[in-house]
Amino acid sequence: MRRHTRRIYNLCYRFTSNAHEAEDLTQEVFLRIYRTLATYRSLHGGFATWMTSVTRNLLIDHYRRTKRDRMTDSLDDAMPRLENKEATGRRPDQIALVAELGEQVQRALGKISPDLREAVILRDLQGLEYREIRDVLGVPEGTVKSRINRGRIELARLLEQMGVRLPNTP
Amino acid sequence: MNWTCEEIEARLSDYLDRLLEPGERSGFDAHVAGCARCAPLVGMVAGTVAGLHGLEPFEAPPRLHYRILDHTLGPRGRKKGMRAWLAWLRPLSSPRLIYGAASVAVTMAVLFQALGLEWRVPRLSDLAPSNVYRTTDRRVHLLYARGAKFVTDLRVVYEIQSRLRPEAEPQTTAPEQPSDEQRAPQKSPRKSDDQSSGPQPKSRRELDRAKDRTANLTTLACAVGGLPARSDR
Repeated sequence: MRRHTRRIYNLCYRFTSNAHEAEDLTQEVFLRIYRTLATYRSLHGGFATWMTSVTRNLLIDHYRRTKRDRMTDSLDDAMPRLENKEATGRRPDQIALVAELGEQVQRALGKISPDLREAVILRDLQGLEYREIRDVLGVPEGTVKSRINRGRIELARLLEQMGVRLPNTP
Repeated sequence: MNWTCEEIEARLSDYLDRLLEPGERSGFDAHVAGCARCAPLVGMVAGTVAGLHGLEPFEAPPRLHYRILDHTLGPRGRKKGMRAWLAWLRPLSSPRLIYGAASVAVTMAVLFQALGLEWRVPRLSDLAPSNVYRTTDRRVHLLYARGAKFVTDLRVVYEIQSRLRPEAEPQTTAPEQPSDEQRAPQKSPRKSDDQSSGPQPKSRRELDRAKDRTANLTTLACAVGGLPARSDR
């Protein structure tokens, strides 16, 4: 339960860039899953993939619903806390650096189109395989690859414009 | 295979995700190595992907779990009656808390005993200002009296000890010391004789008094028994 909550919450936060909205959406996802659990078939893929599909549909609905409000949205609204377990063993300056980097990446993510954003989030932040992303998005695998590729390039260019220095590991 | 810059950009993710065939990969590498436009792009995107993979997940707020559970399984039932009290008391049953409470209780009992305070059920009249003043005044005076008595007792004990000490010293040191006249210059050569033998005249005086008493008694015994009087002095 906690593992799924964290995964769905992270997906929602990465997409919306707002902690409060991410909380509400995560709760909504679990409510919908609870109500429609009987309709789940293993044909839909793994349970995690199905959960991600439900989350993605809710995120798209939310995106369309809040399109106007988002014009004035700010990332400073609420940044959630980083995972404590992962952050242990690091110096405070390193923790601050990672947090700042995460915030800048989140800003850049919020600037690319939703199609590219969700593809990049699912691939590089959620660690899904191409076929899983295909199942979640309901588009051909070639489209998934293309979106991920364009999303990465666009994100890299945005980060460069913002002056963010990331580790160069070709 | 000769790669163009557009192909490099289109297949960049395949390259980074290691989905290219070995032949394709070498051609890709060869183009990037000699292309001033593609090399920075590949480095930039590779760095971005590595940065994304290195981002740490956010921690979901603990209240979110309870919110989800409340909305799916319904609100958690609250315990009633004795169970509610037991549930409330459960955190108090930790050994550390019990040990701490016992220590505080014992300390308070010792303090109350030492201060002479008496425990009784408080009454409403105890809160009247005159009663509060009277009680406080009484407590302060009692405390002062106890303190004064304690100090006086200490003083008496000290005086007794200081009187006993000079009498004990000559008895223990007398056989080892040759004489008062020889010892005085050795103890404090810088001081005069009167100063160096400060305590000695006192003991000598006491010895003289004892000798006088003995002489008087001897004289008295002689007078009573008809014996010739003898004086040691």
